[in-house]
Formats: sequence, C-alpha cells, structure tokens
Amino acid sequence: MIQKKICMVGVFGAGKTCLVQQFVHSIFTAKYHSTVGVKIDRKTVQADGTDVTLMLWDLAGRDRDGDISVSYLRGGHGIIYVVDGTRRETLDQIFELRTIVREAIGEVPSVVALNKIDLKESWALTPGDDTALAKEPWHILRTSAKSGEGVDATFNWLAKATVAGASR
Amino acid sequence: MPDPNQGPDAFEVLRDLLAGQERRRLDRLEREFDEAELTPEAIAKHLPEAIALRAGQDRKLARALGPTVENAIRESVQRNPSQIATAIFPVLGPAIRKAIAEAMAGLVRSINTAIEHSLSIQGLTWRLESLRTGIPYAQIVLKHALLYRVEQVFLIHAETGLLLAHAAPPDLKVADADLISSMLTAIQDFVGDSFKTAEAGGRLRTFSVGEVTVMVEAGPQAVIAAVVRGQAPDTLIVRLQEVLETLHLQLARQFARFNGDAAPFDVAQPVLESCLETVLSTDRRTPGPGPAPWLGWAVAITLVVVVFGGFSIRSSLRWNAAVTRLRAEPGLVLVLAERSGRQWHLSGLRDPMAADPRMLLAAMGIDTGKVDGRFSPYLSLEPAMVVARARRLLGAPESVTFSLEGTTLVARGSAPVGWADPIGPKPVGVESLDLSRVEPVLPAPGAALRAEIERNQVLFDVGSAALGGGDVPIRQVADAFRRLLATTGAATGSIQLEVIGRTDPTGTDATNQALSRLRAEAVVARLTALGVLPDLITTTGVGVVQPLENPDAAEQARINRSVSFVIRLVRAG
Repeated sequence: MIQKKICMVGVFGAGKTCLVQQFVHSIFTAKYHSTVGVKIDRKTVQADGTDVTLMLWDLAGRDRDGDISVSYLRGGHGIIYVVDGTRRETLDQIFELRTIVREAIGEVPSVVALNKIDLKESWALTPGDDTALAKEPWHILRTSAKSGEGVDATFNWLAKATVAGASR
Repeated sequence: MPDPNQGPDAFEVLRDLLAGQERRRLDRLEREFDEAELTPEAIAKHLPEAIALRAGQDRKLARALGPTVENAIRESVQRNPSQIATAIFPVLGPAIRKAIAEAMAGLVRSINTAIEHSLSIQGLTWRLESLRTGIPYAQIVLKHALLYRVEQVFLIHAETGLLLAHAAPPDLKVADADLISSMLTAIQDFVGDSFKTAEAGGRLRTFSVGEVTVMVEAGPQAVIAAVVRGQAPDTLIVRLQEVLETLHLQLARQFARFNGDAAPFDVAQPVLESCLETVLSTDRRTPGPGPAPWLGWAVAITLVVVVFGGFSIRSSLRWNAAVTRLRAEPGLVLVLAERSGRQWHLSGLRDPMAADPRMLLAAMGIDTGKVDGRFSPYLSLEPAMVVARARRLLGAPESVTFSLEGTTLVARGSAPVGWADPIGPKPVGVESLDLSRVEPVLPAPGAALRAEIERNQVLFDVGSAALGGGDVPIRQVADAFRRLLATTGAATGSIQLEVIGRTDPTGTDATNQALSRLRAEAVVARLTALGVLPDLITTTGVGVVQPLENPDAAEQARINRSVSFVIRLVRAG
C-alpha cells in the first residue's frame, strides 16, 4: 500500500475543509484547525491499479496573510491550493502561498482547486486569471463542495502524479 | 687412509667403520639403562602431567579409569557410608536447600494468587463485578491489577509523518493508526513550533492523558511512539530507544528511499511487537524472605489483633471520645492530650466558669484516677462562658435567659422588678446590656402589698375634687407603697404608683376629664405630703373613659366619683 502526504492550503474561508469533508475519512474534528492548526483526514484512491492512501493535511488558513505553519508542509508529496472562485483576492494569495511552499519543500505535484464553481453568478475570476494560472506548472481543476464536482478528480490526479513522481 | 684434510664427514665415516657395532650396542645399553630409571618415584613425578596430557588427547584414559573409579566408590560406600556423605555434604546441602526453597516459593506464590484472586474481598468484588457486567473474570482482574500495558507501538516516518509499521495486541482493535500517526507528527510539529524547541533538538517525548501515556522517541529518520495504559515504567523508554536504534541500523537504506511505500518496513513489525507487554501487579510480587514467615506472620498478627485488638480499640475509642468531649466543652482549651501506658495526661486552660474536666470524664464512665489533668485559669470569650459570667455577676434568676448578640447581652424571660441595672458593671466580653425584653414581676410579698394598694379608693362628692375629711385610704396607700419599695429593694423608678381620677357620667366629657384630673391631683398632693416621692407617681385623669363597672347604675356612678390606685412595673432599659 502506497501512502502519500498531501497538504491542502488556501486562505481562510476558501472552503478547503468543506471541499473534502464528505469525501474523506476523518476522526478529528474541525476544532484541530483552531488549536493545532492542522486537521488530518484520509482518502484512499486507485492510481494505476494500486491503492494509494492520501493523508490529507488540511492546514488552517490564516486570515488575510498567507502565513502557514511551514513545519506541517515538511515531507509533503503533493499540494492542493484552494481558491475561492467568488473572491478574486484569494487567487493572489495562492501565488504567495506557492512561494512559501516552494521554499519549504521544493517543487511537488500540485493542484489548484478553483472552488465554489456552483456559484456561477458571483464568479470573480477572469479569462486573464486563467491565463496567469496556466503559466505555472500546476494542474487546475474547477471544484464545488456543494455538488462534489471536481473533488474526486483532484484526488485522482494527485495520487497519479505523486506515484509517478516517486517512480521517476 | 683418508686425508684428514677432507673434513669431519670423512672422519665420521671412518669412525663408523671402525667402532660402529660397538657404538650401537652402547646406545642400546644406555637406553635400557634410562628405561630402568622408571621407578615409582619417577612415575609419581610425571603422573599428573602424563594424565593431563593423555586426557587432552582422547577419552581413552577416562574410559579406562571409569570402571575402576566406580568400583572404588562403591567399595568405599559399602565399607563406610558416612565418609563419602561427609565429603559431599558441602555440595549437597546448598543444592537441596535451593531446591526446597524454590518449591516453597512457588507454593507461596500460588497460595498468594489464589487467596488474592478468590478469597480476598478484592477477589470477591471482582467476581461480583464480573457477574454483574458479564465481562470475563480474567479481564476484570486485568483491569484492576494492571500495572501497565503497552497497547500500541507506531513506527512513523519522521519527515512525512506517514505510518511505516504498527503493532497492537490481537484483542485490541485499532483503526486509523495512519491518521493517528500523522496527527501525532503534526502535534510534534505544533509543540516544536509553539515553544521553539525544534531548533534546540527538543521534541515532545512523553505525554499523558488520563491513564494513557504516549511515549515518543525520535530518531533522524523515524519516530517510535508507544501508547501505554497504566503506570508506564522508565525502563520502557530505554527499550524504545534501543528498538529505534536497531531499526535505524537495519533499515537505513529503506528509510532513505521511502517514498510512501511501507512494505519494506514489514520486517520492523516483529520488533515493534516485542515492545507490547502487559504487566500485572501480581506479576511483580516478590516471594519475600521466605515462605514460612509469611504464614507465621499472618497467623501471629491475626491472633494479636483478635486478643489485644478488642482492648486496644475500646481504650482508643474511649480516649478519642474523651478528648473530643473536652475539646467541645466551652471554656476549656486542651493544649496537650497524651496517653502513656494507662496514664492520661491532659493539660490546658480552663475558664473559672467552665465545667470541671474531671467531672466531665467521670460522667463518661472514665476512671479519673488515671487522669493527670493540669489546667491554668483564663478568661474565655466563648459566648457560653460570657453568659455564665454575666449570670453570676447580675445574679440573674433562672427565669431569665441570655443571648450574646455581638457584644450586647440580651436578657429575656421574667425577673423580679428592678433586679438588674442596665448601666451597672458589665461582665468581660459584654459592652451593653439589653434588659428591655425582660418582663418584670413582683416577688410574693410585693404581690400582697400591691393588692392592698389597689384595693383602696378615695371617693368624692358629685362635681367635687375636694378630699373629704377621711384620708385613711391615702395614708394606707402611702404606707403600703413605702413598704412595697422597701420589700423589693427595686431600683428607683422601676415601680410606679399610678393615681387614676374618674367621674360619674353626668356632665360634659371635657368637664369630666378636667374634674377627674383635679381629683387625681388632689390625691397626689396628699400622697406627696405623706412623703411619697413625686417621681414615683403617675397622675392620670380618665374622665368617664375606662369606668369601674357595677350592675347598679347609681352604685356605678358613686364608685366612679373616685380616685383609684394601680401599681405599674416598669421595664428596665
């Protein structure tokens, strides 16, 4: 059985916790966010015929500043950046977070989850943003915590990418 | 003739040719002579070395000697058994003792266990608990006698926090070991970040939650964590360190290459399992100095307890009761209370108003002959003592009760009129005296005099306030009142003579009111003339109000044209 450590980052309110809540196995409550600053869940997926257990480190997003506990990133095999598609500023913060992550653990397979895709009317990202995002070596997915759209795809892509990265 | 210049070899050849035969014979003779030197002395000299030499070469010597030695021993035993017994006694004695001791220790252990688990109150309680809860007895014993149990051991990859291997007893269901492993790592990081211990190489090592202790040992590549229920011993941490070091040594390459696949760490599983252990308090029982003392002491202690315990307990109970009684007694301060043998030593302070400690003890049925009591006098401010002192100082009758409200002594009940003076001397601990709630009463002789005074009446003519010729009633009243004051010895003013003037119903109220007043004043003037102090007299004119009753109207009119007398007792304060 292959295990991978995946870190989920994104500013407060971007919907990180909601995004995965119904798709993962968890024994810890959201209380851990405010106390320890991280909550760990598990998601097992199939990648290339083998079971991959993703240990999801859901890092508490601090309000406004992109400050996260770098210690929690240590040894991460993959990263999920969560953007609130209805709040333009959360995208900028993702770029700040990316710098922090890269300094801490280098380049690892990463997914940007553009969340709240169900709220089409208040969608704040422009085609220009999509272009800016596409310049970076990360995988971009549109997700919805409400409908579950894109969530499994996020996990599957990361499982595949991290396993492939390991065998390379 | 050989040339001597040809060297020694040629000479040797020549000698052999000439004397060879003789020389060989000479050598043989010499050898025989040497062999003839094997005398017993010579053998004795070389025998030990010879035996050692041969025994080192093969077992032939042992085989050759075996039957001889056996025969020798058999013969020796047949001839004189005590000799060989004496010889081997130093070896046999300790061996036998050791064997017996071990057997006995085993017996005592099993007796202990049996008693502890079956006959003791604890054992019975556990059996009851087992019956009540339906949990097997063995598990109940485990729950209560558990010293500690290593329930889980985690081997965690230091960098990622991923679980490499995990061990738990088969009866313990552990889910989500991987989540716990990660969270444990997160908590380690959290502690390191929060208290800035990570730089100094410090890490969270041992933490306890309720009866669970988590011991964590960190190595460069991996972390080992043990979940221990009960009292985790210090030796366990050393054990974990050793295991971690061993694993680092064995799995150095696997650690370095780890990329999420825990399969190479399956080999660590048995090592982790070796750390799982359950230690019960019964496992730790040491046999003690020996089995016999255990039984002997048990019997002896039981006997002593049964025979002497009764006396001791009774005496102890009495002593405790006595000390408690004395401590509770107001006005007594017990400073020292000791027992030496049968003698009781009590000392302390005693208010003169307090009860006699000896009397108290005697009342409890204690032989005061064995009590040595020394009490120094002191003044207690305990309410009971203050009240007792006040009662004595004020000469209070039984009908008066006291209570102390702050520093005010409040008297209640009834007392002879004027028995105490509120502004007189006060007992210690009392600043003011409240007598206003005491009902004054006249003592028996006073009651007769009162009746005599109140029987009198001074009658007047219609519409007149003039005293007639006869002032006999007034004289009688003055005389009786004087005697009353003398009899009671009451403080001035506490007994008042009330002089009440009345009229018949004819005439207006205003006139009657004035007339009644005049009549009273006339009588008062006469009384003062007779020596009654005006301060002790109250003058009242009631007119036709509160008339004296009589069924005959004419008679009623007559008796109300009068002045009558009433003795009033005044409350103090």
